[in-house]
Amino acid sequence: MKKKILAVILVLGMLMALLAACGRKGGETPPAVKERTTANEITIGIAQDLDSLDPHLAVAAGTKEVMFNVFEGLVKPTSDGNLVPAVASNVSVEDGGLTYVFTLRQGVKFHNGKTVEMQDVLYSVRRCAGLLEDGAEPLVPALAVIADIQGEGDTLTITLSEPNLEFLAYMTLAILPADYDQQATAPVGTGPFKFVSRAAQDNVVLERFDDYWGTPAKLQKVTFKIIEDESGLVRGLQSGALDLVSHMTYTQISQLDKNDFHVEEGSMNLVQALYLNNSVKPFDDVRVRQALCYAIDKQGIIDMAFDGYGIPLGTSMFPSFGKYYDDSLTDYYPHDVAKAKELLAQAGYPNGFEMTITVPSNYQPHVDTAQVIVEQLKETGITATIIPVEWDTWLSDVYGKSEFQSTITGLTSDNMTARKLLERFNTQAGNNFTKYNNPKYDELFAQAVAATDDAAQTAIYRQMERHLTENAANVYIQDMADLVAVRNGVKGLTFYPLYVLDVSTLYWDK
Amino acid sequence: MKYALKRILMLVLTMVIVSFLTFLAFELISGDPAEAKLGTEATPERLAALRHEMGLDRPFPVRYVSWLAGFVSGDLGTSYNYDMPVWELIAPKLEVTLCLCLLSFVLITAVSIPLAIWSYRWTGTAFDAVRTAFNQLCMAVPPFFTGILMSYFFGIVMRLFIPGDFPDLRTDFGEAVTHLFFAAICLGIPRAAMTVRMMRSTVIGEMQKAYVRTAISRGNDRRGVLTRHVLKNSLTSAVTFLGQTMAELIGGSVVVEQVFGIPGLGRLLVYSISNRDYPVVETLVVILAFWVVLAGTLADLINQRIDPRLRLGGAV
Amino acid sequence: MRKRKINGYLLVGLIITGALLLMTLIGAFHTPWDPNAMSATEKFQAPSLAHLFGTDRFGRDIFSRVLKGSGTTLAIALATVAIGAVVGTLVGAVTGFFGGVVDDALMRLNDALTAFPSILLALLVISIVGPENKYNVVLALGIVFIPSFARVTRTAFAGLRDANYITSARLMGASNGRILLIHMLPNTARVLLPAVTIGFNNAVLAEASMSFLGIGVTPPDASLGYLLKEAQSMLALAPWYALCTGTVIALLVFGVGLIGEGLQKMDREVA
Repeated sequence: MKKKILAVILVLGMLMALLAACGRKGGETPPAVKERTTANEITIGIAQDLDSLDPHLAVAAGTKEVMFNVFEGLVKPTSDGNLVPAVASNVSVEDGGLTYVFTLRQGVKFHNGKTVEMQDVLYSVRRCAGLLEDGAEPLVPALAVIADIQGEGDTLTITLSEPNLEFLAYMTLAILPADYDQQATAPVGTGPFKFVSRAAQDNVVLERFDDYWGTPAKLQKVTFKIIEDESGLVRGLQSGALDLVSHMTYTQISQLDKNDFHVEEGSMNLVQALYLNNSVKPFDDVRVRQALCYAIDKQGIIDMAFDGYGIPLGTSMFPSFGKYYDDSLTDYYPHDVAKAKELLAQAGYPNGFEMTITVPSNYQPHVDTAQVIVEQLKETGITATIIPVEWDTWLSDVYGKSEFQSTITGLTSDNMTARKLLERFNTQAGNNFTKYNNPKYDELFAQAVAATDDAAQTAIYRQMERHLTENAANVYIQDMADLVAVRNGVKGLTFYPLYVLDVSTLYWDK
Repeated sequence: MKYALKRILMLVLTMVIVSFLTFLAFELISGDPAEAKLGTEATPERLAALRHEMGLDRPFPVRYVSWLAGFVSGDLGTSYNYDMPVWELIAPKLEVTLCLCLLSFVLITAVSIPLAIWSYRWTGTAFDAVRTAFNQLCMAVPPFFTGILMSYFFGIVMRLFIPGDFPDLRTDFGEAVTHLFFAAICLGIPRAAMTVRMMRSTVIGEMQKAYVRTAISRGNDRRGVLTRHVLKNSLTSAVTFLGQTMAELIGGSVVVEQVFGIPGLGRLLVYSISNRDYPVVETLVVILAFWVVLAGTLADLINQRIDPRLRLGGAV
Repeated sequence: MRKRKINGYLLVGLIITGALLLMTLIGAFHTPWDPNAMSATEKFQAPSLAHLFGTDRFGRDIFSRVLKGSGTTLAIALATVAIGAVVGTLVGAVTGFFGGVVDDALMRLNDALTAFPSILLALLVISIVGPENKYNVVLALGIVFIPSFARVTRTAFAGLRDANYITSARLMGASNGRILLIHMLPNTARVLLPAVTIGFNNAVLAEASMSFLGIGVTPPDASLGYLLKEAQSMLALAPWYALCTGTVIALLVFGVGLIGEGLQKMDREVA
């Protein structure tokens, strides 16, 4: 009997749930959301936990995305891609990029209440440049160009060993208090939000910093909730646990009720490509690489795996880099199977060949892209096999040791310099994991670095981009779309040309 | 007493072997914690410096012994990823996972034992077949699948709890338990079905024994024999099985926690392994293994109390 | 010895499992559609005559994918159980038959392996052996399954060691190997068979859990567990995907579970 009663109760429960599902109208705000609206708080879902909270040691793009709200440099990026003074109040570039002079802003406070002093700035820059007494390696290799740092009163003078027009972009490095050793667990910065707490694999909590020198943030408190499971993020939005999630797929977005959420579209600002190991057969032959470019249909990938969202790319540069970006390279290799076969035949592979694509398995968009590419390559007679690896293995084997044939990833830049995106294809670059080796390219790169005139430098960078395209260094695919699900009522989302999420402009429109 | 002492010694020995095996496993894994930490920005010099700082440049036996010494003296080390003491990192999550497992265990015990006895009465009838089939079905559906359906129905449609927003266990105990309750059900369904099945067959086996026939032929009623003698004699195997259940639950919780967005040990474990956060994984493995071995040892010790014959140490 | 009667559980179990096996076998050679072929115009189609289980977000035919996927899952589960049963029986035979120091040492190691929650052990093994493909999943799960088989068979072998017929075989001068293989092994089948059915089911479910955590089989190998993980990320858009895949997994485990139930019932009736 008991079991029958139980069964009846269960069936009734399910029916009620179904009825409730049909009866419930969208737009009905869950209580938890109402509470947050009143308290002026917001909860944002992120897909991975942060790595180091110490901004100078943090590596993951996801960490910088969140901690952008906590830290500031002497200058900071704006949403239109410029740099404006932050902890400094004034910047002047002298001697054609050889000397940079900063005037510190008066009364900028750290989150622990102390005022930013010259010694803090000196400490922060020296720490990144490897100029502290402890003899550590520079944390930012590009800062090795610093020849001398002088701080007098509120004037900081940095002299470089050679002129560098892009140096200012590196001065976005976070200014930290000099005599504080808890950065990794309780970070202190000067940004519009202060760090409150974190629980591993669970959440990170930020609160408005009321003594912020600039425009104060509108929200009182922001909780970043870590949910790794992609359907978990969708359930979190539906249940009212989350208000905003970036980097969503179209599949995730389309499961949300339009009465509760709207979608804002930006771009991820990265170069997603099938990166080729140029030092191994058959990719050491330019004809084979070109054949791959013809064989792969990037618009097809975007339509198939990304529902049409995404900007096709033809080189290692994306549109938000403005003047550096050369749009004409995108269609350099139209989708043309016949041409691909012809090139393969010339290269000595009339019947195609077998290749492997190593993919970090934790990143679904890249796995999806790989699956579509495998199907596309079949038309040209190339048999591609996917090798999924853990992120850590990817870092050590693919990125560190170049033990791969081809891989799919998205390369990004954490500052607004073209150099960051293009330097890695130079033979000397430590991070040249594609082993691209071309004396012409190295020569161009040397010229670009040495240039003292911005227009000339831009022109050289554009030549370098063209060079990469013509030599088919990699099979460039797209700058992925950044779809952000936003709960109705949340306003003020701003997109940056960098991988950051500025929460200081968000607010509830009550 | 001597027996208990022997069991505890064996427990410690097993723990040492487990921790050594885990250490060995990490020795064989490709990938390096320093590389995982520095990511795409790594330069050879910084890698070397970090390896030295983490103590990874020392030989394997030295590292193991120093870890063991630290563990025994209560120093569990510092997480590579979180730069905080391992114990501080693990403790709040351990609470949550333990709560989930205990809740599930209580549900399993409370549901399966009465159900097993009750279902025994139907042996041989047509309903018995339906019951067996239903039992098998409960074991056949993956818990994470039930979990997805349940969190959808009870969380999003009926709003009984908020998937993805787990309340703080210390401040909102009531709500946290509600949240855990649904997860505990998902976790418990297959194990409860197994327990019912196991209990039932033990009772059936016991009922066929000579002493039961004798008792019944002497005029005792079946029900009385069942509750007075058979159940008592079936108890030892039930305790052993429930001990195993206790051990299995902690493994199953890894998956269920993920579905319900519960901040337990599961996610941390997967993350720490793939990020090569050795101090965290090593401690987690020892804790989990301790849990498993403890469950078995406790079950044995309880059985000793129930059935003094086992105390002679022969049949274990 | 009484005649062994096939009972209802066994029959139904065999029918369900047989039907699934047959479909999988056909699927290995022929599927209605290419399971990996994509079509931008046929995304998220509900089940129809052309696509029995509908299509997924790449416009791939789910029925064909499930057929291929159940092939992978079956192969994984069978291989896992094979490793577990063969190595486990070997360990069980050696320890149960000879006893002594070997027994103590191996059983201690066995205890240590059992002390790892299965999913954790599988995770560690996967991390050691590298890329997440089906062979490594088999290896990981196989190792996880050895201890339970070893324990079951050890008890059986130890129980038979002093049986009269074994003693007489020994007196007749039979070698240890011969005694183990010819005289004892067939008699352990009684405990081994149910253990195999349970092991098979555990393997199917463990593989599904691992896929769900993202550490199991990955494309292009699509196991049922992987498909279910994929399906649950589009539950609201293509509920048929999750339901069809989930049902196939449940049926597979259910069928084999019934066979196990039937075998035990048969055993009880014979005894």
